[in-house]
Order: sequence, then C-alpha cells, then structure tokens
Amino acid sequence: MKFRILREDLLLPLQQVIGVIERRQTLPILSNVLIEVEAGRMELAGTDLEVQLVANTDMEGKESGRFTVPARKLMDICRLLPEGGELAFDVKPERVSLQCGKSRFILGALPAENYPNFEHGDPEAVFDCEAQLLRRAIEKTAFAMAQQDVRYYLNGLLLEIRQGRIRAVASDGHRLALFEDVVDGMPDVARQIIIPRKGVLELGRLLARVEGSASVRISANNVRILFGTFSFAVKLVEGRYPDYERVIPKTACRVVVVDRHELRGALTRVAVLSNEKFKGVSLEIGEGLIRLRAQNPEHEEAEDEVPADVSGEAFAVGFNASYLLDAINAVASDAVRMSFTDANGSCLIEDLSDSRYRFIVMPMRL
Amino acid sequence: MSGVELLSAPLRMRIRRLPPQLINQIAAGEVIERPASVVKELVENAFDAGARHVEVDVEQGGVRLIRIRDDGCGIDREDLGLALSRHATSKIASLEDLERVASMGFRGEALPSISAVARLTLTSRTADVPCGWQVSADGSESDFDIQPAQHAQGTTVEVRDLFYNTPARRKFLRAEKTEFGHIQTLVQRMALARFDVGFRLRHNQREVLRLQPDAEEGGRPERIGALCGPDFLEQALRVEFEASGLRLHGWVGLPTFSRSQADLQFFYVNHRPIRDKLVGHAIRQAYQDVLYHQRQPVYVLYLEIDPALVDVNAHPAKLEVRFREGRMVHDFLFSALHRAIAGHRPGRTASVVAAPATENPAPLAEQPQQSQQPLFRVAETPQRPYLSSGDSETLGDLRRLYPASLPNPTETRAEQEIPPLGYALAHLKGVYILAENAQGLILVDGHAAHERITYERMKRQYQAGGIASQPLLLPVRIRLSRADADLAEEYGEHLARLGIELRRTGEGSVLVRSVPALLEGSDVERLVRDTLADLREHGSSGRLQETLNTVLASMACHGSVRAGRKLTVPEMNALLREMEATERAGQCNHGRPTWVQLDTQALDRLFLRGR
Repeated sequence: MKFRILREDLLLPLQQVIGVIERRQTLPILSNVLIEVEAGRMELAGTDLEVQLVANTDMEGKESGRFTVPARKLMDICRLLPEGGELAFDVKPERVSLQCGKSRFILGALPAENYPNFEHGDPEAVFDCEAQLLRRAIEKTAFAMAQQDVRYYLNGLLLEIRQGRIRAVASDGHRLALFEDVVDGMPDVARQIIIPRKGVLELGRLLARVEGSASVRISANNVRILFGTFSFAVKLVEGRYPDYERVIPKTACRVVVVDRHELRGALTRVAVLSNEKFKGVSLEIGEGLIRLRAQNPEHEEAEDEVPADVSGEAFAVGFNASYLLDAINAVASDAVRMSFTDANGSCLIEDLSDSRYRFIVMPMRL
Repeated sequence: MSGVELLSAPLRMRIRRLPPQLINQIAAGEVIERPASVVKELVENAFDAGARHVEVDVEQGGVRLIRIRDDGCGIDREDLGLALSRHATSKIASLEDLERVASMGFRGEALPSISAVARLTLTSRTADVPCGWQVSADGSESDFDIQPAQHAQGTTVEVRDLFYNTPARRKFLRAEKTEFGHIQTLVQRMALARFDVGFRLRHNQREVLRLQPDAEEGGRPERIGALCGPDFLEQALRVEFEASGLRLHGWVGLPTFSRSQADLQFFYVNHRPIRDKLVGHAIRQAYQDVLYHQRQPVYVLYLEIDPALVDVNAHPAKLEVRFREGRMVHDFLFSALHRAIAGHRPGRTASVVAAPATENPAPLAEQPQQSQQPLFRVAETPQRPYLSSGDSETLGDLRRLYPASLPNPTETRAEQEIPPLGYALAHLKGVYILAENAQGLILVDGHAAHERITYERMKRQYQAGGIASQPLLLPVRIRLSRADADLAEEYGEHLARLGIELRRTGEGSVLVRSVPALLEGSDVERLVRDTLADLREHGSSGRLQETLNTVLASMACHGSVRAGRKLTVPEMNALLREMEATERAGQCNHGRPTWVQLDTQALDRLFLRGR
C-alpha cells in the first residue's frame, strides 16, 4: 500500500494519540500506533489496554490497509520534518518506508491483526452534552482523586447520571470535590461509573481544545466518548463508590466569606513554615478576620491575617494547607464561602457565583 | 496382618496402670532428648548442690558415657534410693516453694527419667560421713542396693549406654561429633550462667574446656570469648541497669556486630538460660532502626528478678518461663537496652576494622602525599582539578572570612584534646570523609552519617511536637475477627493517643475515623491489623512508631547531603562534631555502619612497617 499525507495532518492527531501510549512496554506492539487507511480517511489508534484513543484525519488517495509502527519514533520523525512537507508512505508487511523530500526512513512494522482490540460492548446509556461541560467537570474535580490508594475505587472519578443531571465526584478520603450540571435530553436512566485516574487526566487534556458537543456511551465495563475527530474509550473501575452524599454537610452554623486571592496568598506564605510533610496550618476565625498560623518541627512560626465576613461564633480549626489551596484554586469567583458545622467536622467550600461545584475538606487536629 | 491387629486393638483393650519404668520413659521423652539434655539436668543439680567445681566426662558423644562429678553438698545415704525415684526432691517442699523457686530444678524427675533410659550410677558423700555410698539403677528396680564406695565430698553421676532400651530415640541421635558439639555449647552456656563455678569438660579422655572459678570479673572475657568469639567483647556494650526490683546486666553487641542467624543470643533469668518470645521481642524492639534488614543481634544478658515473679514451671526443660508482670519486664528490657544502644557514641568504644592483610596495599599506597600536609595549602594550590579558578578564589575568600574557626589540624593535635572522630582531612569521591584522630585514620560515609543525624533530629522534633491527626472524610471500615475488634476497643484510648481513632461498628468490624497526619496516604487497614496483632501477641506495639519512623527516615534521607556533593573542610568537621553528639550515630537509618577506624597499627600492617 502506498499513500501520501501532509505532515501537519499526521502530526497533530499523532501527538494526541501518543498521550495514551506508555513509554515503557512489556508488550512491544503496545508502543506502536495502529494506522488504518480507507477511502480518503486515516484513523490512528493507541492504547494501553485500559484507555484507547482513536483520532481521525483527512487525506487523499483511494487505497486502504492497516499497519502498526512505533508511535514515538513516527512522531519524532514527523515533528522534525520541515513544515508543510508531504510524506509518502510505502507499507510492506514488515517494513514501512516513508519519504519526505530528501529524508527517507524505514520503520519496523508489526502486523495490525495482532493489535489488541478494545471491546466496546453494547451501550446501556447514551447521551450528548457540551464537550466543555465534561471538561469543566473534570477540571473542577480531578485534583481530589486519590493516587495509588488501597481503596482502588478512589483512584478514579465517579460519573453519575440521574434525573437529567450529570455529576462528577472525586475524593481521596480527606477531601472531596463535586461538580453537578443539567444536561438537556438526558435519558431517564440512573448510572454510576468510575473512570480510572489515567483516563480522567487524559480525557481532560484532550477536551481542552475541543468545541461542540460530545457523545457519551456507557456500556457494562467501559465508557466511550466521541468528540471532534476523536473517539476516546476507557475501561471502568469495578466496585462501588462510597456514599459521598453522606459527607456533604447539610447545616452550617458558621459561615465565612473571604477574598479568594488574599486567602490563597496568606495560606501559601504561612505554609512555608508548616510541617513539610502534612502542611498543617491553623485558622483562627474571629470577628471580621481569619488569622492563619503555622509552626514547623524546628519551632519556627508564621502568622498572617486576612479580612473576612464571619457569621457565627469565633473558633479555631486546622487544615492541611495543600488541600485547602487545591479547593480555593479551583474556585473561579473572587470570593469564596467556607461553611463549618463544628471545628472537627468537615468544611464546605463554595464559589459565590457558581453553585455547580462544591468542595469539602476535612480539618486536621494539630 | 499386624496392621489389622493394631487397628482393632483399641476395641478390646482395658484400662490399666502403666508400669513405673514406662511412666519414667514417657517422662524422659519430654526432658531427655539427647545426651546434652542429660548434661543439662545433671549440671543444674550440681549448681543446686552448691558445687564450686564441675567436671564433665563424655565418651562417644555422650552415648556411651556421661560422668558428672561435683564438689557440692552430696546426698545422704538414706536419701540415695529416694533420689532415684520419681517426684522426689530436696529442692521444694510445698506450693509456696514452687511459687518462688530459686533453685535450678524442682520437678524431681531428672534422675528417674535418666535412669529409665540409661544405666545410671549415683555415688555421693556428704561432709559429715566417713565414706561415700553408691547406688545403681536402670529404671526397672523398686529396691535399691546401696553399696559403700570411695568418694570425696560431693556427687558423681555416671550415665552409661544412653537410650539402650529405647531404640526409637537412639535412631534420632546424630553423629558423635554433633552430639558432643551440643554438649560443649551447653556447658559453655551453663558456664556463662555461673562465673563462680569452675568447669572441666573432657571428651574421650581429652580435655576440651577448662574454666577456673572466679568470683571477680577477671575470667569472664575468657568464658564469653569462648562462646561468642573473641571479637564480641570488643564490639559489645556493657549493660548495667536496675529499676523497680529488676536488674539487667551483661553485654549487647553493637548493631554492626550483628549476625544472620539468631545463634549468639544468650539470656539468663536468675542464672537460668532461657529462650523466651517476650524477651526476644523486647530486645528486637530495642535494636529497631539500627539493625540492618534481617540481621540478628548478639547478646549475653542476665536478668535478676524476684523468683516469685517468674513461673519456671511452664516448660519441662524449663526453656520458657512466664513472667507475672510480662508487660513490665518487656518495657524494662526495652528501655534498658534502647538506652544502652542509643547512648553508644564514637570514642567510648571504638569499632575497629581489621585492616586487610598485605595482599593488596596498592590503593592506599597511591594516595597523594598532600593528604598529610596542612589543608589550606591543598585548597589553595591548583592541584585539585575539580576547582575552577573562580572556585578557588571563593575558597580563599572564605578562608579569610573564617580564619579562627578553621583550626589547622596539625597544630590542634599538639595543643588540645582531639575529638573522638578527629578532624577532617579530605572528602574522597564526594562520598567518604577522611579524618584523623588520635588513633589514626577515620573513614566516614558522609551521606549515611548525615542521614542519621537528620533522622534523629526529626524523631526528637516529632515526639516533642505532639501528634497531629487527620480525621477522614471517608472513614475506613475494617473487618476483623471478633477478638481483634474487642482488642481494638480495649486499646482504643491508647491508639487515639497515637493518632488513630477507631469506633466499633459491629461484632467484627471497626471504623477508622482518623489517622496520624504524617501517615495519611499509607495503608491504614494494614497498619491497624498489624498493630492489633502486636497488641495481641505482646501486649504492646511499636508498630505505629515504626511506621512513623519509616516516614521520617525517608524524609531524612531526602533532606540529607547526597553522595557526590563535595563538602568543604568546615562542613565535614561540623558533621563529625554532630555525629559525636548524636544518638545511634554509628549506624545509618538502615543499620549500615557510618564510620570505621583504621588505626596506626592497621596502617602499619598495610605497609609492613615495624616488622
């Protein structure tokens, strides 16, 4: 099979697909990209057996065929070729040669039939929504996912559809992030799925540059999302997600509204002298201000004050500064509302202007 | 056919009394396992008789003959027969005596058990009679024929043809050499229990061991050296600790003098050698985080305790004991040894490496002469290729800045006392610090040493700072056995003080509601399970502390100077001074040594000087 394709047409989808291909492989074919050419279209697929990404691109020509070549090497070659060049592929069973101007390369190929097939299964729930909505859901929650926790179901993102709404929840057992929005035309099914960590991060990266709508197809053990020129599929984490609704505080007896930038600045400064491992910072919340204090094992101390709108009695509470900062950073508005039930209970953090997302952070006893 | 008979036999059997000899043979099965067991029982009898000297003669690994002669108080003529019958003893008389046994034996079973499996002759003479008396037995007789015999004061027990009537046991005996090896180790072990008793051990008429009795400590090194190797005392710390009626003394090996087998561990409770789980655990805990991986510590330790607080009637051969106040003994041993090991500083006991023999003196011989010159000249001259000219300028500036704080080692040597780890000479390959002290050359692994210093500081700070605990947003449910869940409830307060908060939620499950802040992200479930297992086994657990220490250790590792980073002389000297002031500075966090001494003699040997 012989075909020609513009460098840019190949490079961009290839750069996306490379994201799911692991650098080090025990199975050689997994470091290859599967290329399918058919009637003026090219499909590039990469997988790590958990996540699969297929990218489509246009090309000229009438020939069709499938082959796999080392993905990273192909990408490096494309990247280093001059802009606007045209690549001429000549595909033989074990060798793929490509030429662009005076540059010639011969890559080793592995048979396409050996490339692992990603089983999709029958979709049980299908709905369309804005791609940017998915992106926001991930952006607001992904930071709270656990990493290599023994409770494997926490190493992922909970996606819940119910009553025309979509919810994304992530938690590492210490803090929790929740995003919720209405989706028009959502089918009347209730489903909870857990998308593994790597899939979530990869999907977030891909969605960053996509406009328009995305189609989500949930089947028994995987979810496939089609958007733009991509088809993204990921195997689901089996297991039940903890009952997160129980940890959302219902009643607040103390509410603090504070400027997000000032609080962030003070927290970051004070945290310099906190314990380097768990970043303990204490917040004394009094009339009209929050006083932040930190002390490290060398008994060095930091103190800072931030004006705040406080309702309820004065009290003190300790936090892991990184958890608090993660939540504050995810808030978009200038002011942030923190609600407490008591000094030992969790703290609810909300955006004053956008009620679609909420964060819950557990305090620390210092 | 016989198989069928055996199977049907129980149906027709009637209950009947066992003949006395069979009873004794069964009893012997528990106590007399091999020739060494006979020696143990008889030497203990000699101790109890107040002997000052014990002679052990062995032939053919003890199978043919074991003769033990002591100069103790002896046995009265009238008691000789009784001594050979079961459950007869002079050592205790009532339950009260049993509850506070001060003698080695008390069961009244040794002699009849031995006589049930061997031919035994007992000869004895007390101080106040003109001649000795002798009695022989092979376990079958009920009346004893007592004959006069020539004997000095004391007792001789002769055991011939061990296991002649129990072929099954005989089959399990090892080679003569092995069996004698066991006897020899046993005698050495017993000799360590009583320094005031002299010993002589002969095998096939050849003298193998001769130890003089000594009340003072003079002869002790010899006995200990014979058992633990001559290096042990050089590489050991003397322990002497007394508190709340308990006294612990003896020697513990330095962590670097550890072994791969637990074969040099001798523990005596009131002069009785024992092997006890509780004791072993306490000692291991004391060595925690100074011992390399699975290495075993070496020790010879004596615990003196009120006999009423130990139950020795727990094991037929009395290898195990029960402490009435197990927890207290555990904590006592742990704190005494922990302190001893932590307190070991350079300079108090030198860990000396034997220089390798002269085969390969090349690497040291190639060392440049400059290393003996005053250091500043070295730093200034462009002989060090790694210094760019800019760097040497900075060094020169630094030198001018701190002229007083950089003592010239050659001058200092004459003027003031040299600290134990001496003064730094150079940094080798960015890894090893070479320093000179009064004895000679000191080599220090800079990273390992700094890691230990950082680690000890972090541990101190963490302990001083109180424990921050992180409540969990999603509590962790752990399924446990009912007994473990009970235990978790019982120790709830103890665990809460350490930062783990648990709540019982059902018969066999607990909910972990908070963990120490330092340990968030670790496997909570495993930590709780392991801690409970420790609590169940030993009544205490250092597991949580160990896990915290692991976190601190890895923080210390990252916060220490890396191998490859070049240190300046003042930096190296500062490190050496800090090592001298730091607990457990002799080992890095993983138990590897941090420094060694190559003394002048060792160096002389390398160059064949003065031979």
